[in-house]
Amino acid sequence: MTHRLSLKHLLASCTLAMAVAGCSPQAETDAGQTLNIAFWGDNTTLVSVDPFQVYWLEHRVLLRNVVESLTDQDPLTGKIIPWLAQSWTVSDDALSYTFTLRQDVTFSNGERFDAAAVKTAFDSNKAFAGELPATFGATYLAGYDHAEVLDPFTVRLVLSRPNAGFLQATSTTNLGILAPASYALSAQQRSLGQIIGSGPFVLEHYTPEVGAKLRKRPDYAWPSANVANRGAAHLEVVNISYTPEESVRNGLFLQGKTDILWPRNPFSEVDLKLLQSKGASIQSRSLPGPALNLYPNTRNGRVLADRQVRLALQKAIDRSSYAHTVYNAEFPVVSGVYDVTTPYFKAQGDKLAYDPRGAERLLEDAGWHTGSDGYRYKDGKRLSLRYNLSPAESAGDVLVQDQLRKVGIDLKLNVLTRAEWVAGNASGNYDLTSTYMTRADPIILQTILDPRAANSATLATNTYEPQTLEAAKALFDRGITATSDAQRAEAYGQLQDLLLDQAAAFPLYERVWQAATAPRVQGFRWTAEGFALLNDIQVKQP
Amino acid sequence: MKRYLIGRIGQALLVLWGAYTVTYLILYLLPGDTLSIMLSASGMEADGLSAEDLAKARAYYGLDQGLWQQYADLLWRALHGDLGHSLSLNRPVTALLAERLPQTLALAGLAIVLSLLGGIGLGYLTAYLQWRPLKTALSRLPSLGFSVPVFWMGLLLIQVFAFGLGWFPATGSNGFDSLVLPAVTLAIPSAAVYAQVLQRGFQGVWQEPYIVTAFAKGLSRAQVQARHGLRNAALPILTLVGLQVGNTVSGAVLVETIFSRNGVGRLAQEAVLRQDIPVVLAIVSVSAAAFVVINLLVDLLYPYLDPRISHCPKVS
Repeated sequence: MTHRLSLKHLLASCTLAMAVAGCSPQAETDAGQTLNIAFWGDNTTLVSVDPFQVYWLEHRVLLRNVVESLTDQDPLTGKIIPWLAQSWTVSDDALSYTFTLRQDVTFSNGERFDAAAVKTAFDSNKAFAGELPATFGATYLAGYDHAEVLDPFTVRLVLSRPNAGFLQATSTTNLGILAPASYALSAQQRSLGQIIGSGPFVLEHYTPEVGAKLRKRPDYAWPSANVANRGAAHLEVVNISYTPEESVRNGLFLQGKTDILWPRNPFSEVDLKLLQSKGASIQSRSLPGPALNLYPNTRNGRVLADRQVRLALQKAIDRSSYAHTVYNAEFPVVSGVYDVTTPYFKAQGDKLAYDPRGAERLLEDAGWHTGSDGYRYKDGKRLSLRYNLSPAESAGDVLVQDQLRKVGIDLKLNVLTRAEWVAGNASGNYDLTSTYMTRADPIILQTILDPRAANSATLATNTYEPQTLEAAKALFDRGITATSDAQRAEAYGQLQDLLLDQAAAFPLYERVWQAATAPRVQGFRWTAEGFALLNDIQVKQP
Repeated sequence: MKRYLIGRIGQALLVLWGAYTVTYLILYLLPGDTLSIMLSASGMEADGLSAEDLAKARAYYGLDQGLWQQYADLLWRALHGDLGHSLSLNRPVTALLAERLPQTLALAGLAIVLSLLGGIGLGYLTAYLQWRPLKTALSRLPSLGFSVPVFWMGLLLIQVFAFGLGWFPATGSNGFDSLVLPAVTLAIPSAAVYAQVLQRGFQGVWQEPYIVTAFAKGLSRAQVQARHGLRNAALPILTLVGLQVGNTVSGAVLVETIFSRNGVGRLAQEAVLRQDIPVVLAIVSVSAAAFVVINLLVDLLYPYLDPRISHCPKVS
């Protein structure tokens, strides 16, 4: 196996190594209670920190500490636990949710948090989704009809159609409750940082592409059970910066100018060793939602319309060498359609085993025979797959290309701009494409693979052969209308089986989110959705 | 002269209009339309929406007009100083430019000054030196400076001067300190061009009869080079300075990304990728205007620096 590194990666590693060589021991004495977090580049396509619109993971980390939700989710069990709501009941038809709210909560502008504020938040979100149906939060709010204020601290949210993920949705940043004053502002004003929440930190300012500053709220005292610190945050100030250039971002961390280095993609082994040699701790959590899957185009007589070929493709991918060479020896090997942190995840490692001989047999049976150049041919046509990706290919993509070549499949890495990629998905001009979403509920797969709710109906339709599509839709329906855990587990279990048995998804790797924390940072903990609650963090001399 | 000036200004306006129109058409011809990019950005794709929802979204982003109607609308408002509204940044483009442009102007300004100092200094020194090995070494330097990729030079400078020696900050756009490394990075390729051109210029000038005359008058080598050589050899550099304005805008795209600076270069790159038409048009117009104005100034300066050149018909 040849593992080709791109020039950029090589350069990044070299410069990182140089950074260390030029490094002198740090003498930080006045680090105090300021925490500096460095993320990769900001989202430049949708510039917004409005909770309801935000899908950008880094912004959801920021918002989790400013804006709170009715409920929270236990990161270990996935169970929904009280937060701003002390308790709740769900009607038997799963259409009305009655929340009893805490009475000691205020927003940072002094407004009282009560049933009316909850109604304002949900109604404003619904109105915004009506205006812009494409907005990300709309999928969380699916089915929401109206809210009834039963008394100042009891509110009933009524759905018009079942949504088994609704309770989980109330725990997310997307349905976080802002102060009524925030909803009086325009969506544009909220997007640019005029966000008033009830969280342990106040968003002092957000400058797109530069950074954001959070300041502690001294009178905070109502965390969920996920937080050990029951009072105000230990940290005085949190500075967030967006540094697009990897080697510069890493260098700032190694210099001690950043306390948490938190890029989107997992660290490479070289970077990991270097960071650990500097005493950094690596925090990792699989992001709930689908794993990094490739989705086939089975329609219009394309090569992957043949299930035999798809199954061969599934067998030809060596996922453990992907995890261990692209990342590192401890990196988890993907074992299902979802990441392990997703509720109702079903481990299916046996269906994803590497079996090149089996793949070759399947291809032979399907009529694809090896030609003189090592690739397979049928009726004079080469077994060539067009894989649309944006904005650049990764080391992993090149590795998969190499693995597939061994069984005679020619994987063409078709690098596109975001705009071309979107157009390619919409027109079905691809054999393989990839996308992901993060949410700690299996319902999130509907935004990718259910044509009735998906971002790209074409992608969702093309993934399945016609008869499989109907089966998948039925399972999605059973999952969303289920009223008990057992029913949901059964529906989503069958769905995961279906996706792999039909080879409608090709998992490549577990989407692990990693952050490196400096030795002086203590108390870093993940939330269920892979964010962090900063009110437990302390900055101390190690 | 007045007629010449009016002609040149007319030409400049035509260039501006041309740049504006061509940019608009190119953006329009790019695959994937703005709406689907905007929708994709908010987590949805156009084919996932009903026709009615699509029309709503189109109206929300102001994209419900045709190609030419939108163009005429944009151009008409631009002529009245309203550069439109950025689709994804949710802000008027003029406010955006007012915030970002000073960063890039400071960067470009310092880079031009540094490149002139460096380039002319190196060229002058190479011409003055007479010790062969050093002269040869110095005359090879410009090719090296021009060949080194800007992003690599930027990373190298960060490693040495920010991480290693700790003299300057690695990132950000706060104060003069943070300007030095990016400006040096941006200045190096231009300085290399100036040095190269000046070296060639001196090679030619030393052969001229007036140099022989100057030596014959008893002037020293230093005096001849300063008084008679430099002014003649340096003329082409003036033209190059005009052209460098264009290079600084494209160079700023890289440099601002490496140094995490919040300027127009990065804005331009991002706006193109997300097909934020009003922003790209505004940036193209502003840089085209700067380019045209500087080159006009350069042309107008020539007669003062070199009396042999004249824009007016000579009376013979």
